[in-house]
Amino acid sequence: MKETQALIERVRRISDTHQQLHVTVDASLAAIKPGQSVLARVGEGWTPYLREHWWPVGQQKNTLIFERPGDIHYEPGTVISLIGAIGQPFRFRRTLRSVLLIAYCTDPAPLLMTIPALLANKVSVTLLLLGTEYDTHHLPPEVEVLQGEISDGATPADRLNWPNRVTTIGWADQVFIAVAQENELDSFREMWALFSALRADIPTSYLFGVFRPLLPCGVGACSACMVRLKGTDTQLMCTDGPAIDLSKVTLT
Amino acid sequence: MTVRITRQGKNALAVESPVMNAAGTLGFGDEYRDLIDLSTLGAFVTNPMTYTNWNPATGTRVVPLEAGVMLHTGLPNPGVNQVIHERRATWERLPIPVIAHVVVNNVEEVYKCIASLEREEIIAAIELGLSDEISAAETQWYLRSAVERTEKPILARMPFGANPDLYSAAIDAGVGALVVCAPPRGTARDLSGKLVAGRVYGPTIKPIVLRMVGQLARRYPRIPIIGAGGIHSPQDARDYLEAGAVAVQVDSVTWVAPKLLEDIARDLGGLEQTQPNSAFDSLFGDGSS
Repeated sequence: MKETQALIERVRRISDTHQQLHVTVDASLAAIKPGQSVLARVGEGWTPYLREHWWPVGQQKNTLIFERPGDIHYEPGTVISLIGAIGQPFRFRRTLRSVLLIAYCTDPAPLLMTIPALLANKVSVTLLLLGTEYDTHHLPPEVEVLQGEISDGATPADRLNWPNRVTTIGWADQVFIAVAQENELDSFREMWALFSALRADIPTSYLFGVFRPLLPCGVGACSACMVRLKGTDTQLMCTDGPAIDLSKVTLT
Repeated sequence: MTVRITRQGKNALAVESPVMNAAGTLGFGDEYRDLIDLSTLGAFVTNPMTYTNWNPATGTRVVPLEAGVMLHTGLPNPGVNQVIHERRATWERLPIPVIAHVVVNNVEEVYKCIASLEREEIIAAIELGLSDEISAAETQWYLRSAVERTEKPILARMPFGANPDLYSAAIDAGVGALVVCAPPRGTARDLSGKLVAGRVYGPTIKPIVLRMVGQLARRYPRIPIIGAGGIHSPQDARDYLEAGAVAVQVDSVTWVAPKLLEDIARDLGGLEQTQPNSAFDSLFGDGSS
């Protein structure tokens, strides 16, 4: 964990809604792993106050690629402050053949950095977008993209509907889910209910929630990101997360 | 330069720098070891401890504000004895005195927490966080109970906007210093649009607390006051010392810009204010201006 300066080298629009920032980073951050993130501070003022939680989606030597909303203006040459690496890498099974990545009512940025490594290891990757519109044309063609109902008239139940639901869930050896920040536990509970309805059982180390609450400190000091596990245990999402086995989490 | 931050006495606490963190900002031990050189600080104040295990708050914990943040964590901790068990070795390695911050619900918990902490040589002082709803009678009762049961200095962290009776009660109880003050409580809408409550942090808190510190330093010149609220620059910290504080506690800026805590500590290293700056007198009247 370090606080370092980084330089925005390049800003590249990838869709109507998103842009990618190519950021030259300190060597300590160049070794960041899928699942880990940084806390970024752009500019010197106090607005926004908290550091922004940035998830790398790609990596090239000393450059990290971050995906950011397209409506924020970033200037190449800007020096930014990064704290990281935040969190633990995703833990994949050794015998992994098929991974299901789900973005539910959010963009899939926290999940995307896993894709190159998984494909390189001949793991098949399915990206399921539920309740969210996200242009995927920049993703590798090997990634199977499924889309839930997103029309204006879609009900909450429609949003969780996509073709071949049982097959998609049955084939996956592991599932990683990112949800909207504002109702994180509620959304994970919905996903747990969905999987419970579509599978006979949910084994441990199968269904992971990628928690990304607002992080004031990012180092485990402020306790704002603490999640209760079943029993008396707790975990801090900034140091123990972001991916937590949902079978172990108290979702109420 | 050594700065005495509690009342004179056998166990008065003296520190090498008038800058420390506020409770709840640096964790229970060395969470910030990679980001902040703790040796630059005068003391380390722990996250709040309670007698029994407290769980994290349910619902929204963090609400971003314009130039600030509102936080409601529920003060999760495994209880004072477990914290001591888990963190004693870390505290022993810290290069600065450790101040244990304790939150209590009743006087029984005061007795029990103080008994646990009194046994720990590594704890240099105990800071009692008083609740926003506490009465003057309870303030005196809790603090006197604490003072009578320990040789260690007791610091009273006062609620935001506490009335003068509370301050008098704390001083009469024999506390070593007043920490002025806890972050104010606020209400704001979270990301989903729901109204939630929490403690408010940010630079806009500083002018309000600075005035309180200035007034209290003049009203109670014999009690050391530690200023805490909204410090975001070395000048903010200097302002507190000029207003009459003996030391300062820095809070949320540590999360946003950790190195700034170190910068503030280095900037104020050796700076001591034993008497309020008289140039400030007209600014800290009792509300007539």
